[in-house]
Parts: sequence; structure tokens; C-alpha cells
Amino acid sequence: MADAELKQQIKEMIVERLFLDVDPAVIADDENLMESYEIDSVNLFEIVVGMEEQFGISFEDDDFTVDLFATVNSLAEFVDQKRG
Amino acid sequence: MLALDERLVTIDSGGESLHGVLHLPAEATGRALVFCHPFAEEKKCAHRTMVDAARACAEAGWAALRFDLRGCGDSPGSFGRFDLDDWRADLQAALDCAAGKAQAEAVGLLGLRLGATLAAQVAEEREDVACLALWEPVVDGAAYITHNLRRSMIKAMITRHEGGEESEGAAAQAHALGEGTVDFDGYQVPEALREQIAAVDLLAGPRTYAGRALIVNLTSRETVAEPLQKLADAYARGTAVAVRQEPVWQRIGIIDASPTITATIDWLTRAHD
Repeated sequence: MADAELKQQIKEMIVERLFLDVDPAVIADDENLMESYEIDSVNLFEIVVGMEEQFGISFEDDDFTVDLFATVNSLAEFVDQKRG
Repeated sequence: MLALDERLVTIDSGGESLHGVLHLPAEATGRALVFCHPFAEEKKCAHRTMVDAARACAEAGWAALRFDLRGCGDSPGSFGRFDLDDWRADLQAALDCAAGKAQAEAVGLLGLRLGATLAAQVAEEREDVACLALWEPVVDGAAYITHNLRRSMIKAMITRHEGGEESEGAAAQAHALGEGTVDFDGYQVPEALREQIAAVDLLAGPRTYAGRALIVNLTSRETVAEPLQKLADAYARGTAVAVRQEPVWQRIGIIDASPTITATIDWLTRAHD
């Protein structure tokens, strides 16, 4: 299970990179990001770049699934897996 | 209301007549900038920003020449038939054109993304480039190619998810890393051009351009990204600034680019007054 600090870092990264006008703390861990914040392909690309830069991970071609980008929980679990 | 003096011009380059628009200041100042647009879909997204920037430059006393590289926009030729050598030649021709038509003694370059990269390279091929403004230049060509392919992958992923029709082979093309022609958001990029872009590395050695250079990082952060700061440091008279601004090259629509434009005009004014 990914820890709360990692999830908070992911929320802050999303808010920063997408220029969202929301407090990162109001994003729920299991909230559907694509629906709540109208995240499109441009936004998803920003999230991918942000995660690689901030968490030192690399996305592989097979990693690109909608489920991965669904929630903060799924993103945090992905970072945990990549970090081993 | 400000009366705009904007004239269509043609630029002869490589046997082609390139489409351009010259924005002239109310009074000639002997200063001009040649704009170099970004690549493929990024050009389309950034069009409004480049027009706004050209008008702001003219208002600040700098003639601004916007033009379309061969195979792009309203210039003749098919996209994908040309390469970076052709486009650098176009930029050279545009510099000569601006000097003549704007009666400018000092002609600088302003580029965005891959256009900024071309501008940086051309500035080192000639002695008369007055200044260099680089907006989010592509520093690492290989990373740029990877990012474009990822965008295609992400778009294909979203399209599948929404149940819409996916363009034929879009996902497969996006995954065809290193093989044949690939699709960058509808622009067919041949392998030779892709390899040429992938070989770009602006941080490979010091930059030899000796004039003033401004590197603008459009970012949500307050500090300049490391590669762009390194690029600024590689110039003898380089400056890097972080401007809070959404990426104007990624989304079609109206984006207020005034933070970036204002930062650039301020720099131009300081550098030449």
C-alpha cells in the first residue's frame, strides 16, 4: 500500500503541472481524476512527465492504460511498483 | 485603436516562395526579429501566441517577420519532404528578407520549441544575428521524439477508452519506435527526419553565439528547469527566466501568452536601450 506522503506528493504534482486552481488536499485518493478534473491527453502527458521527473521512474509502452491514470491510489501504487 | 501595419511577404528559399507576414512598428527603428515556429501540431497550437507576440514586438518598436518553413502552414511543399537543413536554410533566407524589407540594421531571432532549436543553430552560422530569444527550445532531440510518440500513445489510449474510432494504426505507429515513418498527431514524420531531430543536443559543448540570448522556460514552477538553465549558462551572454505560463504549444485554443511575451519584450528593451 502506497503511503500518504507519496499520495500527497502526487496530488501536489498534478495541481502544479496542470495549473489546477484547487487545494491538493481536497483531491480524494480514490477520486476519478479524468472525470473530476476533465483530464485529457495533454494533461495525461504532463502527469507522465511529472511523475518521471519527480519520482525518478520510467514509463514503458505497456504502462499506458487508462486504469493507471484513474486515481491517486493507482498512480501511487504504480510508483511503488516501479521503485521496487 | 492601434492601427496595425502588417504585410504579406514572400521569401525565396531553396526554389520555393515561402509565406510570411511582416509586422511593422509605427516608426522604423532599424530593429527586427524573425520568428521561427515550432514543429507539426505544436505550430498549429502556438499560432495565436506567435501572432500576439509579433504584434507586441511591433508595438515595442521591433519589426517582426513570421513565416512558414517549407512544407509547413501556407508555404509550399509537403510536410515530411524536408529536413532540418532545409529549414535552417529557410531561416537564413528569412533573416536576409527581414533585414531588407524592414530596413533593419539589427535582426534577431525568436523561436519556440523546435523552432527555437533551429534559431539557436542558425545564430551560430552567421555573424549578424543581433539577439536570440528561445522559448522552450528542444535541447534533447531524442527526448523530444520520445515525448511526441508518447503523446500519440496517450491519445490512442484515450480514444480506445472512449469507444471512438481510432485512426488506423495510430497505436501501432506510436509504438513503432525507431521503425519507419511515424505519426505525430497527423503529421507523417519520416525516419530520416526523426533521426536528424533525435541527434539534436544543444548541450553538447559550449554555444558559440556571442550575442545576448534569452531562454524562456514556460512552467508552473518558480525556478528554471535544469536543462534550460544549463543552456543559458552555455552562452557567453545567456539569461534564463522561468515564466508562469501554460505550454502554449500543446493545446489548440486561446491561451493568454502575455506573461511570456512581456518577459521577452522587457528583455529586448533592456538589451538594446
